[in-house]
Amino acid sequence: MGDSKNLGDHVIEGHDYDGIQELNNPLPAWWLGIFWATCLFGLAYYIYYELAGGPTLDEELQTAMSEIHAVKEEAQAANPTAAPKSDEELNALVSDPAALEKGAQVFQTNCVACHGAKGEGTIGPNLTDDYWIHKKGTMSDIVSLIKTGVPDKGMPPWEAAIAAEDIEKTAAFIVSLKGTNPPNAKAPQGEQVTE
Amino acid sequence: MSNHSPGTDTVTYDDDIVKKFIFAALLFGGVAFLVGVIVALQLAYWQFNFDTSWLTFGRLRPLHTNAAIFAFAGNIVFAGIYHSTQRLLKARMFSRALSCIHFWGWQLIIVAAAISLPLGLTTGKEYAELEWPIDIAITLIWVVFAINFFGTLAKRRVQHIYVAIWFYIATIVTVAVLHIVNSLALPVSMMKSYPVFAGIQDALVQWWYGHNAVAFFLTTPFLGLMYYYLPKAVQRPVYSYRLSIIHFWALVFMYIWAGPHHLLNTALPDWAQTLGMIFSVALWAPSWGGMINGLLTLRGAWDKLRTEPVVKFFVAAVTAYGMSTFEGPLLSIKSVSSLGHYTDWIVGHVHVGTLGWNGFMAFGISYYLLPRIWKTQLYSKSMATAHFWVATVGIVLYYISMLSAGITQGLMWRNIDSAGRLVYPDFVETVTKIIPLYQVRVVGGTLFLIGFLIMIYNLFKTAQTAAKDATDETVQVAFKGLPGVEGETGHRKLEGLVTAFTVLTLIAILIGSVLEILPTLNLDKYVAPASKVHPFSPLEIAGRDIYIREGCYVCHSQMIRKMPSDVLRFGEPSTIGESMYDHPFQWGSKRTGPDLSRVGKKYPSLWHFRHMIDPRSISEHSVMPNYPWLASQKVDFYSLRKKLSVLKALGVPYSDDVLGRADVIAEEEARVIAEELKGQGVEGKIEDKDIIALIAYLQALGQKGIKE
Repeated sequence: MGDSKNLGDHVIEGHDYDGIQELNNPLPAWWLGIFWATCLFGLAYYIYYELAGGPTLDEELQTAMSEIHAVKEEAQAANPTAAPKSDEELNALVSDPAALEKGAQVFQTNCVACHGAKGEGTIGPNLTDDYWIHKKGTMSDIVSLIKTGVPDKGMPPWEAAIAAEDIEKTAAFIVSLKGTNPPNAKAPQGEQVTE
Repeated sequence: MSNHSPGTDTVTYDDDIVKKFIFAALLFGGVAFLVGVIVALQLAYWQFNFDTSWLTFGRLRPLHTNAAIFAFAGNIVFAGIYHSTQRLLKARMFSRALSCIHFWGWQLIIVAAAISLPLGLTTGKEYAELEWPIDIAITLIWVVFAINFFGTLAKRRVQHIYVAIWFYIATIVTVAVLHIVNSLALPVSMMKSYPVFAGIQDALVQWWYGHNAVAFFLTTPFLGLMYYYLPKAVQRPVYSYRLSIIHFWALVFMYIWAGPHHLLNTALPDWAQTLGMIFSVALWAPSWGGMINGLLTLRGAWDKLRTEPVVKFFVAAVTAYGMSTFEGPLLSIKSVSSLGHYTDWIVGHVHVGTLGWNGFMAFGISYYLLPRIWKTQLYSKSMATAHFWVATVGIVLYYISMLSAGITQGLMWRNIDSAGRLVYPDFVETVTKIIPLYQVRVVGGTLFLIGFLIMIYNLFKTAQTAAKDATDETVQVAFKGLPGVEGETGHRKLEGLVTAFTVLTLIAILIGSVLEILPTLNLDKYVAPASKVHPFSPLEIAGRDIYIREGCYVCHSQMIRKMPSDVLRFGEPSTIGESMYDHPFQWGSKRTGPDLSRVGKKYPSLWHFRHMIDPRSISEHSVMPNYPWLASQKVDFYSLRKKLSVLKALGVPYSDDVLGRADVIAEEEARVIAEELKGQGVEGKIEDKDIIALIAYLQALGQKGIKE
């Protein structure tokens, strides 16, 4: 084994394992510091959360969720355009090109998987005919269908994922599809609605 | 051992067995790295799943982890232990027959794993996927290894055991305990069983095992190897004996508690999460004790780092160990875990440990040992240096890409806008974003593999220069019987008393194990009456077994954590009740796809049917493999009676009526789903196919609550 004297070290007598010797340097102070600090941290953490009544994970979640809820309500109050629109306001979107363009974009991202690229219907129903399974296919009907979904039939609620004004634009796009007769259209389902 | 006649013993070490284990490690290391690159490719480009059942990610990923841990790391550990133990104890291995049984038995287990895992024969428990007959074989071979090792200790010619041996003892004892407890299961057939634990019990036991597989299969044995090969390679005394003692006992006592850090913010009771977290944080210093003792042993010999490839590998390995044992405690803090868990950050973290620490130790040991055993010189030092740099760049690319991918995705998941909505509600958007980083990871992994191939070539050329008379090493040992420990005190005395040392180690690891696991054995205590659930129906059980067979849990969690971003995305947090009948639990550890605990009834069955056949027909940017065989392979209705009766024996409340007609009930359930699908245009005879059972299971997830 190498010459240890030049480092001022002294190997421990009697510690020789297949030629491996051992020094007995003290534990580095910074290392001991980390050791005790992490142990004390653990002890304090345990005492606070498990013995002294610190918040449980359930309570922390509740607090966080009510904060998000408050943020939501505040946002709604501060942004009157997000407030429920009248039927007239909603119907006006159907002839607004910018709204239709945004609606088409949302439709491509979220709806085509089940309703087809042109709304012809695949897993979900055809959106281009004048038959409706749920409600009557007015703007406000479609907006509320998109928002709350029909979970029993496999239509998920989209309220949490898509902003309210984008849902309205998507509904406008869907209304605009009526009568387009796309290829491979799915057979009508539900009740015929005549105006 | 009690050779009391004065004089000198001639000891011939068994180097042949060492050589065998190294060859096996190198062979299976190649397999592990290659499969690693393939699964990395599959995540970057889904087409590499080849629409073939036994090549899909869900089945190959367990093959990769098992090959890396048990075949590559396992064999190099055995090689190092057999080589160093004989020399540290100045004794030939206890029994050549046991050595050979250990070697061939272990390789047969690996072959059994390599066949059964791609076939989908799996328990669905990470790093413990092997089915019960293979588990029993592992237990037997481990006992053979233990007898051989402790037998050698019994005939040792050195009174005191060196720190390397302490770590080997901890490894052998603890792995036995972990493997046996976590593998407890009731068989259904030759290659199918259900674990005895369910829900939070199973989660706790699994991660007590899972984390300590890291601790006692990938850490303690490698620390032992480090304590032997590093001082040997640099020809310097170990830095601090005192530090060895403190960090050894701290590690073995504290590591065993750390498992629940894999389950933070989940339905696991708070107290268990807290224990898991604080012990993980406090493991920082004990882990670094090993790093310090490794690195500071180089004092006065740092020049060797420049000239000796072996030292390069050792120093980089110890540094990687230091990095991952700093990151580990960090990730175990609940708030950090809320960002990192289920993301690629964890994958990156693990690979610093496996590629850097285990891989580089293994390479260093191979470069050190083989030329010595062959009584020759390494063919090319510069080639070994090239291996070092190529592999190092590979690891850096791997880690940086996965760290960035993990943090990016974690931040996207939790990003909530000023209106209280998720900014990225579409899960696949958060996957698409990190695909370029998956491509970088493929490059990193490939570089690591290329470095490995350079080593194989170098060692092959070295073998050609092996001495013709390279027989087992023989030494003369002055030995007049063990002197005993009279007059010694404290730890030094303990080092001379192997049985006492082993018993104390066992006690140290049992304290944390018992205190954490025991309280959850009475699961009912934790299940709120309102969150009790109905057990899965017969067809749903058939579907669940398909879910496990295909390794869905490898990419999908079933655990909505107690975090706003999880709740907004997936629904109310998962309860203890919801998984109370889950043998095994399927909480998962990684979300390459979305959580599925509340996917039931979210989409129509036709959605699932089309999605399983071609995920991209539903979600354009999906990276999920296609599962066409599910629509042609038949459901095993017949075995359901047996399966349900095994589950009933484990405590799942099925009535005798359901047990007796399980197959008939399942067929009727399947007919209803198939009729619905046929009504929507699906063609062919589908009512007896796997896909129907899987759909039944998916539609039942989150739908089993009793309150409805």
